[in-house]
Amino acid sequence: MLLKLEGVTKRFGGLVAVNSVDLEVEEGEKLGVVGPNGSGKTTLYNLISGVYMPDEGRIFFEGKEITNLPPYDRTKLGIARTFQIPRPFGSATVRENVAIGAMFGMANAGVDEALEMADDMLKLVGIYDLKDKEAKLLTPLEKKLMELARALAMKPKLLLLDELLAGMNPANINEILELLDRVKKEENIAVIAMVEHLMHAITKFAERVVVMHQGMKLIEGPTMEVLNDPKVIEVYLGEKLNVG
Amino acid sequence: MAFVEQLIANLLYGAILGAVYGLATMGLSLIFGVLRIVNVGHGAFIMIGAFTAYWMFTLYGISPVLSLPLAMAAGMIIGVAVYLVVVKRLVDAPELATLLAMFAIGIFIEEAAKQIWGANYVGYSWEIGSISLPFTEIPYTKLVAFISSILIAAAVYVWFRKTKLGKAVRAVVEDREGALTCGIDVNKIYALSFSLGIGLTVLSGVLVTLFTPVGINAYMGGEYTLKAFVIAVLGGLASPWGAFYAGFIFGLIENGSYTLLGLIPGVEPFGLTRFVSFVVLMLVLLLKPTGLLGGE
Amino acid sequence: MKSYSPLITLLLAYLIMIAIGQSIPGMWQPVMLVIFYIAIGQALNVFLGMTGYVNFGYVALLGVGAYGMGVALGYYNELGLIPTLILGFILAAILALLVSAIVGGIALRLRGAYFAIATIGVNEGIKYLIMGAKIWGGSEGIVLSGILRKSFGAETMRFLSTTFADAGVIVVAIATGVVTAYILNSRLGYALIALREDEEAAKVMGINVTKYKQIAFMISCVLAGLIGATAWTLKLTYVFPQDVFAINYTVEAIVIVMLGGAGTLLGPLVGGLIYALLKYYLAIAFPGLQLLILAPLLIVVILLFPEGVVGYIAKKARGTRLENFVR
Ligand SMILES: Nc1ncnc2c1ncn2[C@@H]1O[C@H](COP(=O)(O)OP(=O)(O)O)[C@@H](O)[C@H]1O
Ligand SMILES: [Mg+2]
Repeated sequence: MLLKLEGVTKRFGGLVAVNSVDLEVEEGEKLGVVGPNGSGKTTLYNLISGVYMPDEGRIFFEGKEITNLPPYDRTKLGIARTFQIPRPFGSATVRENVAIGAMFGMANAGVDEALEMADDMLKLVGIYDLKDKEAKLLTPLEKKLMELARALAMKPKLLLLDELLAGMNPANINEILELLDRVKKEENIAVIAMVEHLMHAITKFAERVVVMHQGMKLIEGPTMEVLNDPKVIEVYLGEKLNVG
Repeated sequence: MAFVEQLIANLLYGAILGAVYGLATMGLSLIFGVLRIVNVGHGAFIMIGAFTAYWMFTLYGISPVLSLPLAMAAGMIIGVAVYLVVVKRLVDAPELATLLAMFAIGIFIEEAAKQIWGANYVGYSWEIGSISLPFTEIPYTKLVAFISSILIAAAVYVWFRKTKLGKAVRAVVEDREGALTCGIDVNKIYALSFSLGIGLTVLSGVLVTLFTPVGINAYMGGEYTLKAFVIAVLGGLASPWGAFYAGFIFGLIENGSYTLLGLIPGVEPFGLTRFVSFVVLMLVLLLKPTGLLGGE
Repeated sequence: MKSYSPLITLLLAYLIMIAIGQSIPGMWQPVMLVIFYIAIGQALNVFLGMTGYVNFGYVALLGVGAYGMGVALGYYNELGLIPTLILGFILAAILALLVSAIVGGIALRLRGAYFAIATIGVNEGIKYLIMGAKIWGGSEGIVLSGILRKSFGAETMRFLSTTFADAGVIVVAIATGVVTAYILNSRLGYALIALREDEEAAKVMGINVTKYKQIAFMISCVLAGLIGATAWTLKLTYVFPQDVFAINYTVEAIVIVMLGGAGTLLGPLVGGLIYALLKYYLAIAFPGLQLLILAPLLIVVILLFPEGVVGYIAKKARGTRLENFVR
């Protein structure tokens, strides 16, 4: 068991953003978390990565309790993430951004080593040409790819991707999915990807899916089975699910 | 029991001064609450108010009470000007930029004041008698300052609660994003709040002169900047009401500690109270940076 | 690719300045003035430039450093010349470390605005502690010329307050530049860039932001303390609280950092040069008006050139061969 959440709850004032969620993730697993806008997916990530501490419940990583561990200690254990709205270190170059991931993530690299790793990761995600550009000058898509490179450079055991694929065209999506597949196999990373609407991509990517609804876990199970469940279709208010 | 009598007298004095301190900090908290800008040049605006009172009194014999509306108006005009020339361009800038800019504005005002009004300490005395209490005697001027502070703070309170504009300002303090979506013109609220904050600060400078008979000088504000920050942090930084109440607490701490420090032989208690201010600031930041009075 | 080549530019600049001061009559004083300003800019830059946090109490660190040296020379001079001087440097560093550990430890956990507020009180707080509690001579300060003459002789005293003091300032200034270059090329430097840009994201990328801010703050403060010990106490042979806690040095250091380019290695050099020359001629042309002119200058720099001179050039130089020598 890589990651385990037990009854995790997070409130913002009166709003219960994440409501008593249990979740288990195996090493090297590919899990999809889907749910409409506002269902608590990003908050769940913030709880796992340590941006917020839960009001109730406990979180374990590799059997060790991390419920109240600060975020910078969690990365050292092997947790890495991207942000739904990218957060580059704007005035640093793309290469420096990725190198920062390598230095302070689980990779814990020295400066020279980290800069080399950054080059490798940038080649991997296909934006090596942009390495000397100031990160704030990137397009939104490039920023997302940079965040992916930065997270991969941390050499995590668990990679959390928040709406990484949103806004990408199908060709990009396929490339990223192949890339994730490759990296996952090579490095045995567990990947959790969260999406609102890209069901098609999720069916290609995930072996297992969790559906969030109003802060709660609505249902979980094998991907196709879950996405065809009437409850899930109802959650999306009859929106046509492009399950393919 | 001369010491106890003196302590009580000083605490009473502290509470009276505390009301003025509270008023003198409301503008700082208002500006932080609305614009998230820390006015590190705060004291310079208090100094402008002090000089307003001084010149009105010595040139035209106008009593400080009548100088209050004048100082408020002058402060609001200066506030709008500073907002339009500098602050407006920095609303979304990094914190570093706004802090340095406010710092530079404060220094500029002080240096300009020194050029215009000279570097010497000046003062005036407004004699309207005093009231005798069992332990001590309180000049009416200080009571006037005390009552004016409370009335002005109350007026601001009513303005916030009852008027449409006041409610809009409050809405921005409480939820900026929400206020934006409600169609409130945030830019206008920023300008108004900044100008109101500076106005209140300049106005409080008038009342400050009633406590420092010969303490008016271009650099007098530095002391009040530090005090205002201690008070603002005590009161939660973003809350003008918190600041007003915290002013009383600070006045009591300051004057209480002055009395106690006076018992230690070989020290100079007046200077040390400023060190005490700093220690109080650090303690509040250590224990409860969101303020003792609820706050954010 | 660690890059220490910009350090060559910096060291060369120091060399040229010293050569000018030594060879052209009458130039030594202005050169030392320039080096002093570059040094206080460099020491502040390590914290303000790299973290984006403001230290409004900066001069207090120069002040306690000056007191550290002053206390050693004034009260412990029977140890003999060299031990006393060593003690002076150690006391200067320790006092600066102590102040920065306490203030940073309390206020760096909080958002930037709170930290700035805390630092506003530092200068006044320490000044009035010394004056009010009558520590180390209180308001009278420590006057060293007589003591030094009696303990070490007039000749040694003159040497201390001229050659030795100047050499001390230069060594500290160069050391500050080398430390800056080292930080920029180290994990610490990358951590600081990250937290300056986005503290929360930096945390999630594995950076213990409070720890790195605190390290940068303490380094900056100790360097400032050593500047105070050499450029003030040794050189002037007195320590007056009103002088060593004068806020204008904080303003000057901030102007130098912003003018040259916050967070760059060469920024304080360029900023210090421009500023010291400007000040020198302004003082002649408009005596007593320096701060009145500086304050609007700072606002203009913030509004129009937030990257400063070196920041601007470094950006333009990116991708060219100049790139390696400008940072
Ligand atoms: N920092 C916050 N403060 C207040 N409410 C928040 C905060 N973050 C998220 N929320 C609320 O929590 C709920 C879940 O949001 P989120 O986790 O972002 O959902 P999702 O990622 O599934 O779209 C939403 O109602 C959102 O408004
Ligand atoms: Mg989301």
